[in-house]
Amino acid sequence: MEAISKFIRMITFPELFKGMAVTAKYFFQRKVTEQYPDQKTILPYRTKGKLHVDIDKCISLCRFCEKVCPEGCIKVFPPPKELAKTDKRPVEFYINQEHCLHCGMCVDSCSTGAIHHSDEYELVVIDFKELLGDKETLPYDMIKKHYRWNYLENVPVKIKDSPLKEEEKSQ
Amino acid sequence: MDTLLNLWSTIESWMLAFPVVIYLVKIGILLGCVFAVVAYITLAERRLLGFYQSRLGPNRVGPLGLIQPVADGLKCFLKEDIVPLNSNPLLFRLAPVFAFFPPFAGFAVFTFALPWVMPNGRTYHYSVADVDLGVLFIMAISSLGIFGLILAGWSSGSKYPLFGSLRSASQMLAYEVPLTLSVISVVMMAGSFRLSDIVAAQQAYKFYFFIPCIIGFVVYFISSVAEMNRTPFDLPEGESEIIGFHTEYSGMRFAFFFVAEYANVVFISMLAPALFLGGYDIPFVNDLALYGAHPNIVSILGVCSYAAKSTIFALFVIWVRATFPRYRYDQLLKIGWLVLLPIALANLFVVAGIKLFLLK
Ligand code: SF4
Ligand code: SF4
Repeated sequence: MEAISKFIRMITFPELFKGMAVTAKYFFQRKVTEQYPDQKTILPYRTKGKLHVDIDKCISLCRFCEKVCPEGCIKVFPPPKELAKTDKRPVEFYINQEHCLHCGMCVDSCSTGAIHHSDEYELVVIDFKELLGDKETLPYDMIKKHYRWNYLENVPVKIKDSPLKEEEKSQ
Repeated sequence: MDTLLNLWSTIESWMLAFPVVIYLVKIGILLGCVFAVVAYITLAERRLLGFYQSRLGPNRVGPLGLIQPVADGLKCFLKEDIVPLNSNPLLFRLAPVFAFFPPFAGFAVFTFALPWVMPNGRTYHYSVADVDLGVLFIMAISSLGIFGLILAGWSSGSKYPLFGSLRSASQMLAYEVPLTLSVISVVMMAGSFRLSDIVAAQQAYKFYFFIPCIIGFVVYFISSVAEMNRTPFDLPEGESEIIGFHTEYSGMRFAFFFVAEYANVVFISMLAPALFLGGYDIPFVNDLALYGAHPNIVSILGVCSYAAKSTIFALFVIWVRATFPRYRYDQLLKIGWLVLLPIALANLFVVAGIKLFLLK
């Protein structure tokens, strides 16, 4: 009996048809391909893309971002001392995004939250100078305004009475 | 209409004066169609493989990617043509031709429909040369293709292509005999080696030969996949991991092998319907009775039905490619000699019994 069933299995190849059923299922499934220039990915919340700077928020004298940057690609020019008493905004602010690692250390260290990541990722240019942002050309959009990393927002667990929560709220 | 007919009768009288012209025109049309189909089956396969793997496949060149084959051809044409120093230059240059011509030559003996009848009563056959040993010719010519692969690997002067040709030689040992035996069962049913006779026999019996020769059909399918050098039996080339016989080829010469492979696919997908699925017979209709009343409509519908059957067969082949991993070549030999050969022989006896006792 066993020999007969073995023989039947040998000549009817049931496993092969199982495999073909699997591929047939995939044939009718939704395709995962993203057609890049036409369809763009929706990037996750904490994407570390191109840096954006809110010049009006920067207090420029701290220059934390400049000091902490491992690539040395930020350069802040604070205003002269007399002026700085009233207006602390930088005279000039350079970020060379060509060399930027998107490590995020400048964002973490900034005392006012003036500098932050955006979700722009298309950094291919013809001339590298296009990636050098200064005070006028550094973009800033209000939509992707992360002052700090909001570490709790995406946590699936609900946190009640957390001291951190109050801290988050106060910001 | 009358002027057209007059024009046609002038052309016809010229063609009858030089019969070779008819053959040349037929060959031209056939080759044109075959090349177009081969070009687009490459595209169809790439897109369908994409679908089977949850991708979209190449769809950027032109609408739905329809100009992709042209782009591929241009690319191969513009690439540098390298002949390795270590190779045997003459054989290296000849090998692609050896691989290229058999499938195209094989198309000559196909009949694609019942003959077309002109208003003046003259009939034109949808075939270049419907020879009476058509099936034998096809078996012979398609076995020649393997020479191309073996020559290519051997003349490259490089060890990996040589291994590719070794594998293709061992593969040929495995599939040729079961393939031939399964075709013989069909020939036995029809009582003729002529392809149009085989189809006519299926029309006369009113059933297709895959019903009595179902085992033969399965054997034929498996061994023809091996003959086409496609997954799961793509040992000679092994596109993805093991290195194949055409490693040293580049540019147009590589394109020759590529086209030859797909021409083989088209060839087998046209041969299998003729042998097992009724060829140009329109399913569920009594063709021969209808043909007396409306000959031209039936012959055009016959071409369509043949094309549909071959398309379904080719799609199935692509589906198989999308599904299965590759066999090792000792496994292929084992399948060929220990499984396919005995059941092909058994099928031969079953078919002989059916022919002798049931169809009398
Ligand atoms: S993200 Fe890192 S590398 Fe880029 S500017 Fe900020 S600190 Fe420098
Ligand atoms: S750390 Fe922030 S506030 Fe300080 S200079 Fe840099 S951007 Fe301005």
